[in-house]
Amino acid sequence: MTVAGKFDNGDGGEFQSPALERLVRSLSRLPGLGRKSATRLALHLVGHDEAAGPAEELVAAVTEARLQVTNCSSCGAITEADPCRICKSERRDSTQICIVATPVDILPFEKAGFYRGRYFVLGGLLSPLDGVRAEDLPFHRLGVRLEKDGVKEMIIALDVSVEGETTALYLQRLFADRDLQLTRLATGIPVGGALAYVDEVTLQRAFQFRRTF
Amino acid sequence: MDLTFSPRVNLVLGRNGEGKTNFLEALNFLALGRSHRGSKPDEMINFDKETLHVTLEVEEESGSVLTCEFGLDRSGGRRFRVDGEAIRRRADLVGRLVTVFFNPDSIRLVRGAPQRRRHFTDHGLSEFDPLFLSHLTALQRVIRQKTGLLRDHKKGLASPPETRRELESWNKELAVHAAEVCAGRQEYACLLTPYSHGTHKTLTDNDLQLGFRYCPNLECVKSRQKNDPEKPFAKEGLAADIFQEIDYIMESEIQRGRPRIGPQLDDFEVRLDGVDLRVYGSQGEIRTATIALILARSDVLYQKRQIRPVLFFDDIFSELDRHRAHRLQEMSSRHHQVFVATARADDIADWRPEEMKAWNVQGGGFTEADNEPPY
Repeated sequence: MTVAGKFDNGDGGEFQSPALERLVRSLSRLPGLGRKSATRLALHLVGHDEAAGPAEELVAAVTEARLQVTNCSSCGAITEADPCRICKSERRDSTQICIVATPVDILPFEKAGFYRGRYFVLGGLLSPLDGVRAEDLPFHRLGVRLEKDGVKEMIIALDVSVEGETTALYLQRLFADRDLQLTRLATGIPVGGALAYVDEVTLQRAFQFRRTF
Repeated sequence: MDLTFSPRVNLVLGRNGEGKTNFLEALNFLALGRSHRGSKPDEMINFDKETLHVTLEVEEESGSVLTCEFGLDRSGGRRFRVDGEAIRRRADLVGRLVTVFFNPDSIRLVRGAPQRRRHFTDHGLSEFDPLFLSHLTALQRVIRQKTGLLRDHKKGLASPPETRRELESWNKELAVHAAEVCAGRQEYACLLTPYSHGTHKTLTDNDLQLGFRYCPNLECVKSRQKNDPEKPFAKEGLAADIFQEIDYIMESEIQRGRPRIGPQLDDFEVRLDGVDLRVYGSQGEIRTATIALILARSDVLYQKRQIRPVLFFDDIFSELDRHRAHRLQEMSSRHHQVFVATARADDIADWRPEEMKAWNVQGGGFTEADNEPPY
């Protein structure tokens, strides 16, 4: 079966096949996809005759991922095994914990490979306007974790925004009476970036936190 | 339409309702990234068109040309480009093309709500101080978040101990940005005052002192200002003091369910020889003070960045006496590119600056008038 030309656009700009139309609609509800790209994907998926085409592959992959993927009950990372590889690894330093907002934020650290400590995913930042309050974030679980692992350093790696700063301040307040070193990632000039294009705020921070050389 | 304007004075003539203000609005839109009078995209686009597109080529005094474009469609989609570079946040537009808009409504700068004067100061300072702008934006965001938190709490959506700890964190973050904003406002008021005195003197020929003074809402800012109200104050330790002051009244903010103190309640005093014009000013005094302040703002900008804003006068000469109108015309056309929209040509009858162009607006259409404006 070839697709091009087979599904004419109907009068209302919709396909004559309700099934295809449904597929386009559910694809276009995915983040980052408009109706046009959704249509292209839909036609690609249904436009194959073989029994194990890309559609079957996709269906199987989605089903499996839905079944397998979970969040690590200890750190909140995306994982299949619980606890996750990082939490289980003997070679990771459990006295160092890096606080990130979302599971995706772990990836750049792991890709770079320099960090040997563990993580903790907050799953969001304090933001009353978006309905995120302290009781919605796993601060209690974090407290238990600090105790259990004997954490000595907490590295705050949150967004540099008012929400990120405030969440950092909240963490500081919350664990003020613990014997714990709190650190934050530095902000400054990106490596490989031309100084002339750095925005004023970043430059000011870089200047403020300049170091002896 | 493709128009080339005079680098000095452009008269935009036409009867009421022909589109003079619309035209000034379009030019000003490029500077502000929004309409100065709050029009919605739908209201700005020609009735029978789907989109609106304006390109401005601005030749700067240095000789370099700045190309500003914006596109707008009915659904509210908007696109800005400056020199081909897409502008995503409105903050990135501030200070690129600088304009000043006068219309009969401008007197609310002196007579209107404090918000007007805060906006005047904040915008004036942002034009040459991007760090101030970033602190201001952050401060506004924190205040919205804090307001949301207090409101949630009032509605019983949160437990008290949690709210207190959260509020403390928001207050700490607020204090950091508030310190910068308050210090900036004081600094700007101090910069502006000598110039406003000068422009007021030139406009009126009298030697009354026109002053613009910062009246902070926070006590700790007031006490720093007290030593020398005419001078900027030191920022050291200010954030800590602000936090302490706001933290101290936390319980009452929780009770009321909204923020009670902070830079969002700052005001500025406009004084003419010691008299507070906000309260005691006559219509004429207020009008002249407004013009003097706005021109002073452009002098400050010139001092900082060697940029002269483009001035827009929408129907204001009819409200000034001959002498002051004449002075204003002289002052403005000496250094600035000026656009004057008026329905009554006789308001500007005796004004013959060099390099003047006149435009007739009729039914939204634009034609260049002959050498002599049609009086």
